[in-house]
Amino acid sequence: MSPRVCKNCGGTDIDIDQARGDAVCTSCGSVLEDNIIVSEVQFVENSGGGSSAVGQFVSSESSGKAPSLGAGFHNSLGKESRAQTLQNGKRQIHHLGNQLQLNQHCLDTAFNFFKMAVSKHLTRGRKMTHVIAACLYLVCRTEGTPHMLLDLSDLLQVNVYVLGKTFLLLARELCINAPAIDPCLYIPRFAHMLEFGDKNHEVSMTALRLLQRMKRDWMHTGRRPSGLCGAALLVAARMHDFRRTVKEIIRVVKVCESTLRKRLNEFEDTPTSQLTVEQFMKVDLEEECDPPSFTAGLRKIKIQQIEQELTKKIQDVEDEIASYQDEIETELENSRPKLKGMYASLLKDGIQWGEPAPRSSLTSGIHGESEAEDEELTVASNHLSKDLYNKMQQKNPESVDGQCQPASKTPSLTSLLGPLPTAASLGLTESIKECIEDKKEKNGENGELDLNGIDDSEIERYLLNESEIKIKTELWMKENADYLKEQKEKEERIAKEKELGIYKEHKPKKSSKKREPIRASTAGEAIEKMLEQKKISSKINYDVLRDLNKGGGTPNHEQDGIIHSGSAKKSATRRRSTNNNRDISTPVSNMGKSHPGGAQSRADAPPHQEESDEVARASDQDASLVRYPGHAGGTMSLGWPGNALGFSRKS
Amino acid sequence: MESDNDVALDIIITNVVCVFRTRCHLNLRKIALEGTNVIYKRDVGKVLMKLRKPRITASIWSSGKVICTGATSEEEAKLGARRLARSLQKLGFKVKFTDFKVVNVLAVCTMPFEIRLPEFTKSNRPLASYEPELHPAASYRIKNLKATLQVFSTGSITVTAPSVQFVATAVEQIYPLVFESRKTAR
Repeated sequence: MSPRVCKNCGGTDIDIDQARGDAVCTSCGSVLEDNIIVSEVQFVENSGGGSSAVGQFVSSESSGKAPSLGAGFHNSLGKESRAQTLQNGKRQIHHLGNQLQLNQHCLDTAFNFFKMAVSKHLTRGRKMTHVIAACLYLVCRTEGTPHMLLDLSDLLQVNVYVLGKTFLLLARELCINAPAIDPCLYIPRFAHMLEFGDKNHEVSMTALRLLQRMKRDWMHTGRRPSGLCGAALLVAARMHDFRRTVKEIIRVVKVCESTLRKRLNEFEDTPTSQLTVEQFMKVDLEEECDPPSFTAGLRKIKIQQIEQELTKKIQDVEDEIASYQDEIETELENSRPKLKGMYASLLKDGIQWGEPAPRSSLTSGIHGESEAEDEELTVASNHLSKDLYNKMQQKNPESVDGQCQPASKTPSLTSLLGPLPTAASLGLTESIKECIEDKKEKNGENGELDLNGIDDSEIERYLLNESEIKIKTELWMKENADYLKEQKEKEERIAKEKELGIYKEHKPKKSSKKREPIRASTAGEAIEKMLEQKKISSKINYDVLRDLNKGGGTPNHEQDGIIHSGSAKKSATRRRSTNNNRDISTPVSNMGKSHPGGAQSRADAPPHQEESDEVARASDQDASLVRYPGHAGGTMSLGWPGNALGFSRKS
Repeated sequence: MESDNDVALDIIITNVVCVFRTRCHLNLRKIALEGTNVIYKRDVGKVLMKLRKPRITASIWSSGKVICTGATSEEEAKLGARRLARSLQKLGFKVKFTDFKVVNVLAVCTMPFEIRLPEFTKSNRPLASYEPELHPAASYRIKNLKATLQVFSTGSITVTAPSVQFVATAVEQIYPLVFESRKTAR
């Protein structure tokens, strides 16, 4: 920070001396700054006369604390959380990547992705292992290696879809476009697994051609690439006289038998399947097929169309019948004025009653009323129209001729019927409009319930009457008897405790493991077993603790521990053990549990409270037991046997 | 509803989800015992009540919040919700019908052509994602409409959005994109 203006005199002429580290105003002479921080390189003379620069190389990622134990000790303590996370991640990436046989370049790229993810806080709330797997899969995709998401999930024993979700999120957040996976990439890998021997290359080439054919026939969109590969390989193998059963292929390709069969069937539908082996190798058909789901869809559409046509025809026929009925009506009108009177009386009595079905204009108005009345109406109208029709048939054969001249009759029909029904229908439509508008009213502000359109009687049907309530109550009580008992006991317990004044609010425990009682012959053994279960402190080196009592009697446990937690890194802050991923990270305290040969049984915590207190006290006092955070117990014992021995000698 | 750009597409609404509050504490046990069509899920702490007339299923919590699913239109959803509140009223609770909101609308729409999914995904990179290993459809998100569309290779598209209007807008937006990547007739 270079001062520009002097505080005393306001002069801008300030002399900064780098050597002394001063800033002085030349006009008034006041010292504005001393001990300015200088960024110059200093040299020191070393033995032999040469001079070397003073300073240390500091990583751009870490801040603050420099490694105090000297250079080369890169697994140093006290680094900030971010650096530790990255280091941890790097280790896990390498571990997983080696299992997948990824080269160094891929692993470095994956680590870069991981760094980006951490800086965007994408690791928060997600299991570290998932994020690592997603980074690795991202690299696989961008590099085009034949690794499937299924492989990764196999290694980690995690659901594929969970991994997939994390992967998609990562790709989206990092704005990385993972190129779509090509099934052709998987073929060499699967072919190798199926062991075709010398003909491996030929079979692969045939399978590739088959796949390309499938692509052009639109079998591959939306399908798992592994399924297509499986089908192609099966056919290719058969073509070259290899007998690979469906089961063998399934084991390699990891799809279901039915999926494979389906793919084969679809391929059968394509014209390519009709070619012989030689023809296929030489000729490539020009045609392309539709995707199989599309053809299935087409079939459905065709069926629907046919149905529609049929219904249309039916409707046409009905319309014809209706028009015929209308003409019959008119004939009746003309011949029988009495019937008209009958209609008129019906009309006057109740607008809801008595309109026969063919007068669709009215019935549509009546549909505004409830359904029950509609049904009755249609029944009545049908009955009426039937009667009329029968009567008419008997007495007026002439009216049949009337049907042949529809055109001349219709205007008279409307003129006759015009005045009567329209008045009625008008009245109806108005009321219908009112009903519709009522429904549209909104009442959110009051909170009061708008009862329009809600039929109370219907809702009453939803509620049981008293005897039914009794029965249901009995049934429910019987079913849930256990739960009710528990609740009662709980309440009693709480009441008692309240009286005694001991009542505590028990928060629901997340997980409470049940432990078997410890069986141990000596105090030392008992401590061991209990510690292994309780995992009191991550900072205790349990190896050394054991050695204290047994004096080197447990070399096996140590070695097994080393194998298990070989490349694992345990951060100081992590206390919970991750149950899923044994090979990736095992806290040392879990060692006893993880290997099957261990003779230790699980212990019951409460009876051994005193011992644990003792041990805790002991651990506080005994510096040798304290392990540097950030070390896997295994690596420490491996790399620094001297330390373990040396430390224990102190005690 | 139809969206008329150049072509009339039929957008069929299959599900409408809505929520409302009754502003009063509900005794779930009483509802469970006195209703004909209720399922009491004690472990989760809610009652499922199914109505026949608008075919809806409602999840009722004791706090008074109710989620209604299964309706085929917004109006139907509102009607069903009101019916439900009415039946709760009949049971004796002092329910009020407040904060009614349609939360999610699911609609299906079919294009008259098939779609090349890898091509579609490539041209709409950050918004579209396609993982054939996981799901046969490509998913496309429209942020400002908060809509998610699932595009299948057969040409059928599933849209979920907060309201019916958004659904229509989403379909209109995606139509040209999908039209580009359509499979041309051989």
